[in-house]
Amino acid sequence: MSFQLTNVPAAQVHGAGAMAVEVDGLRLALFSLDGEIFATGNICTHAFALLTDGHVENGCVECPLHQGLFDIRTGKAQGTPVTKDIATYAVKIDEGIVWVDTQPRAGAGEAGGRAAALAAPADFRRLVIVGAGQAGAEAARRARAEGFAGTITMLGDEPHPPYERPPLSKDLLLGKTTLADAHVFDAGEAEALKLELRLSTPVASIDRDKQAVVLGDGETLAYDMLVLATGAEARRIDLPGAETVTLHYLRDAKDSEALGKALRAAESVVVIGGGFIGLELASAARALGKSATVIEAQDRLLQRLLPPEPAEFLAWVAEQNDVALRLGAGVARVGPEGVTLTDGTTVAADCIVVGIGARPRDDLARAAGLETAATGGIVVNGLNRSSDPAIYAVGDVAVLRDSVTGAEARMESWQNANLSAARAGGAIAGKPQIGTDVPWFWSDLFGGTLQIVGAPAADQTCVRRDGEAPVFFCLDADNRVAACIDFGDAEALRAARQMIEAGQPVDRAALADPDTNLFQIEDDDMKMLPIEKRFAWPAAGLDRVPDWAYTNKEIYDREVERIFHGKTWNYVGLEAEVPEAGDFVRSYVGPTPVVMVRDHDGGINVFENRCSHRAAEFCRELRGNTEEFVCPYHQWSYDLKGNLAGVPFRRGVNGEGGMGPDFRPENHGVKKLFVTQRNGAVFASFSDAVEPLEEYLGEEMLTDFDAVFNGKKLTVLGHYRHTLMGNWKLYPENLKDPYHATLLHTFLVTFGLLVAGNKSAMIVDPSGRHSTMASAKSDGAAVSDENKAEMRAYRDGLTLSDPRMMDFIPEFDSPWSVTMQVVWPGLIVQREMNTLGVRQIVPNGPNEFTMIWTMFGYEDDTEEMTRHRLRQGNLMGPAGFLGLEDNEAIKFVQDGMLNSTGGEHLVVLDPKVPTGTSTTLISEAAIRAMYKHWRQEMGL
Amino acid sequence: MNTMAAPVVDDAAARRAARLDIEEFNAAYCTVLDDGALEDWPEFFTEDAFYNITSRENFDHGRPVGLVYCENKAMLKDRALAIAKTSMFGPRYLRHYMTNTQVTGIEPDGTICATVNYILIETLAELPEGRLHQAGRMIDRFQRQEDGSLLLSSRIAVYDTLLVPNALVLPV
Ligand SMILES: Cc1cc2nc3c(=O)[nH]c(=O)nc-3n(C[C@H](O)[C@H](O)[C@H](O)COP(=O)(O)OP(=O)(O)OC[C@H]3O[C@@H](n4cnc5c(N)ncnc54)[C@H](O)[C@@H]3O)c2cc1C
Repeated sequence: MSFQLTNVPAAQVHGAGAMAVEVDGLRLALFSLDGEIFATGNICTHAFALLTDGHVENGCVECPLHQGLFDIRTGKAQGTPVTKDIATYAVKIDEGIVWVDTQPRAGAGEAGGRAAALAAPADFRRLVIVGAGQAGAEAARRARAEGFAGTITMLGDEPHPPYERPPLSKDLLLGKTTLADAHVFDAGEAEALKLELRLSTPVASIDRDKQAVVLGDGETLAYDMLVLATGAEARRIDLPGAETVTLHYLRDAKDSEALGKALRAAESVVVIGGGFIGLELASAARALGKSATVIEAQDRLLQRLLPPEPAEFLAWVAEQNDVALRLGAGVARVGPEGVTLTDGTTVAADCIVVGIGARPRDDLARAAGLETAATGGIVVNGLNRSSDPAIYAVGDVAVLRDSVTGAEARMESWQNANLSAARAGGAIAGKPQIGTDVPWFWSDLFGGTLQIVGAPAADQTCVRRDGEAPVFFCLDADNRVAACIDFGDAEALRAARQMIEAGQPVDRAALADPDTNLFQIEDDDMKMLPIEKRFAWPAAGLDRVPDWAYTNKEIYDREVERIFHGKTWNYVGLEAEVPEAGDFVRSYVGPTPVVMVRDHDGGINVFENRCSHRAAEFCRELRGNTEEFVCPYHQWSYDLKGNLAGVPFRRGVNGEGGMGPDFRPENHGVKKLFVTQRNGAVFASFSDAVEPLEEYLGEEMLTDFDAVFNGKKLTVLGHYRHTLMGNWKLYPENLKDPYHATLLHTFLVTFGLLVAGNKSAMIVDPSGRHSTMASAKSDGAAVSDENKAEMRAYRDGLTLSDPRMMDFIPEFDSPWSVTMQVVWPGLIVQREMNTLGVRQIVPNGPNEFTMIWTMFGYEDDTEEMTRHRLRQGNLMGPAGFLGLEDNEAIKFVQDGMLNSTGGEHLVVLDPKVPTGTSTTLISEAAIRAMYKHWRQEMGL
Repeated sequence: MNTMAAPVVDDAAARRAARLDIEEFNAAYCTVLDDGALEDWPEFFTEDAFYNITSRENFDHGRPVGLVYCENKAMLKDRALAIAKTSMFGPRYLRHYMTNTQVTGIEPDGTICATVNYILIETLAELPEGRLHQAGRMIDRFQRQEDGSLLLSSRIAVYDTLLVPNALVLPV
């Protein structure tokens, strides 16, 4: 035994829970468990990380790096990735101070102390589902089916187990079926799912901080994940005279039972509201032999939902079935005599039903501060996850917001209840569902069935086809089938589904002709699917990036056209590279070669390096000074502004040959780009529609940009050029990925450039395209002993022999000592302490890009400052301590994609920030923001 | 630096002798980089040695940056240590070839000025056929030590192969 004093009061350990100490050169961890103190080695046996930074639970500590788990009392490793136990040490407390025996306990910590293979740990997560309707039930079913092994509790305010609602206005209403027939779960299924089903149990509120739901009686129920499946309720109407009659609404079993009785007892039924439920009720009334009138405020049925033709057909069908339609009619009052309209007429009725739509039951969510839509409903992403990553919403109450366009859609249908529940259930079980289905809805009317596939809208044009039964195809502006409303032609409906999925323009006449084979139309057109059909972004949304975004040539060509040649500012060079008239450098905009040259007026011009005669890349020198550019092939010459100056033998020889009389040199200059400059940096654009550079960058980005380009004259220190074997976007992504910094770049951590406690940020501009990764180096004095110990922990005994490389000499008007700024699409402005540079991305196809670095200082730098910048330059570039690792990582990523079949990347870190600036470095929100912008630009 | 008693001569014989020493020196130098321990590499340099790897583009235009830029042996040691202990890169073989050794002068203080062409072949696991990574010229200054051996007081590697394939992980 050799107990050593730690100088740490026991109370401090109990207060902190875990503390790092150094005794006798040993780095130890002290843990407080149930009032007792335990000591273990502090360095994980798997990779270099401090266990005291980890998470303590159930007597075990989880390493922060790879989640290796050790039992604190015994040091036993608890399974993958850790196989070797940590050492444990005896502890005694003397006068309140902790002493530790520096001889490790026998048995633990020795090589070969392998963890026994452990059974898969039990899943202790609690899933709570609010709302025992169709979507809630389906979510439970799907979570289990996908392997969720925690507990599931479902809370419903109705007294019935979950049931489907469509029969409420159909056979159940007519008494042909019972509620039991409509139950979602088969007998015994809820038990088999190990589902705790609590009926007649309304939920009163959600406490998101405590992760608990509060029931009506005050009982609280903790959750790890919550599904809100609260559905919708019938929209109510306030009518004069309402107190004198019974107004029927229809949403649940109780309503249906009451309405069924009333219908049977009635003579004349009036339905207020000409939607599907209203029509189904009129249909039910007619089936019972009652007179039926539908009152609709709009001029036609289903005005918001359908184009005129199918709606008018539906009206015709209703009238054929002796339903009286009162369109464009307002209700003035109701009474025992019936319904009085605003035009003064009264429609006699002894049973009045109101079917004017439903309101999503989002009150719980609203009160809990979840994001809700202006028109009602809980906003969710492609996985049906709400703005709180622990909470999902499904069914009628969920509003799906497109992560790229921001378009919102809420659907009330049997199919949506199931599909949304499947997405949430899959996500909860850790198996997100891929792929979307064409929406589908049906309604039973007058003995037939109407079906809708796709997304109809009032403003679509319609093509009617009269085959076996009438079918209406709704076409979008490009003549593509967007939806189909069918009255009984199953074959046409199947064909429509295919056409919607294919998204091909179709021939209207062929579509209308009952003799054309609809599947055949399809085949001919399928040959050239539009790009957005062939490259469908994963349904999970921005959480995933498909491989094709990085490897496909067609996508790459579209990027060149829409991004590099589109509305972007592309860095081409520094003013300091062309100080004198006639000075030029060869550069690029995207992959396209350009020349940047200073003319005699002092202006800087950028034009394509492509002769307008035969396309030759005429400027061959990297840089130089010239009075004109002469294409070597046929000696066409251009002035410093890119105007065509001379064409040899323009007039021919001896009156023969030469150019025709209509040839005008001013029409044949090289392609000139739009040019802008800011404090010495030169940008060019193919587009005249791009906003001014200041707006393009935005205020926040401009601040970081101007810290480097502050107006001082620049001195070019030289260039690096290298080819990276990866897609060009991986480079900006690398600088939007603060997560990798401490994991890949051990150098940063080893030599204290980036340590816990450093101030840092990942800032994204509002458009999502530009960003700055920033950190502030704490000066030596400010680094706490604790952090110093941690820095050393990663690699023992490493110090720089010449630490000058890591010196930061403050010289910038900025809180940051390091900023890595991405100026979309192809510029990186590097300020790594005092080493300054720009990196220009030149893509060469989807799988490779060249990077051109220009390192610089300021004209007023002292010689020592220049040397300091050069010394610090060892960090970056193709051989830089950090740079080379990024290059390798990017190559590995591309290799991974090229050497496997298409897959997708996972970019899910930090779900609380869907896209944009994050406050933590353990985030991929900036990458998601970039792809949001990219998808908008690419139309994909 | 030079503490040798004999007066310095710069004649054909002296240059020939120096050239042989340099060729031997460079053979050993390449062996350390190709097959040896990177930590031994700084031992080929004097304490105040300058070492720079730069492109022909920069060199010809008097631009001072280097892929690797070291102002003394301490910085060379730091590079060796950082590469060996902290850097992540894919497994590879590197082979250095140095030819066409020319002694361009012997200065009065004994400094031997020399140039030598070099090529660096890189073979990656996924590229077993290997590829030319760099071709260029070393511009060197050697100091003879008391025991007669040589050490570099300056080595500037100027590469013609402008476009570096991916990354340069080890020095040349
Ligand atoms: C009469 C009728 C006919 C329909 N016909 C068709 C049709 O023909 N075709 C079609 O595609 N779709 C039809 N639908 C639509 C379809 O039934 C719904 O889209 C579907 O039921 C939505 O399921 P849900 O789980 O989101 O909501 P619901 O099934 O409404 O379930 C929500 C449940 O949550 C409960 N709840 C709400 N708040 C709380 C709370 N705070 N605490 C506890 N429980 C709560 C509610 O009481 C309810 O039981 C019809 C709907 C109705 C009402």
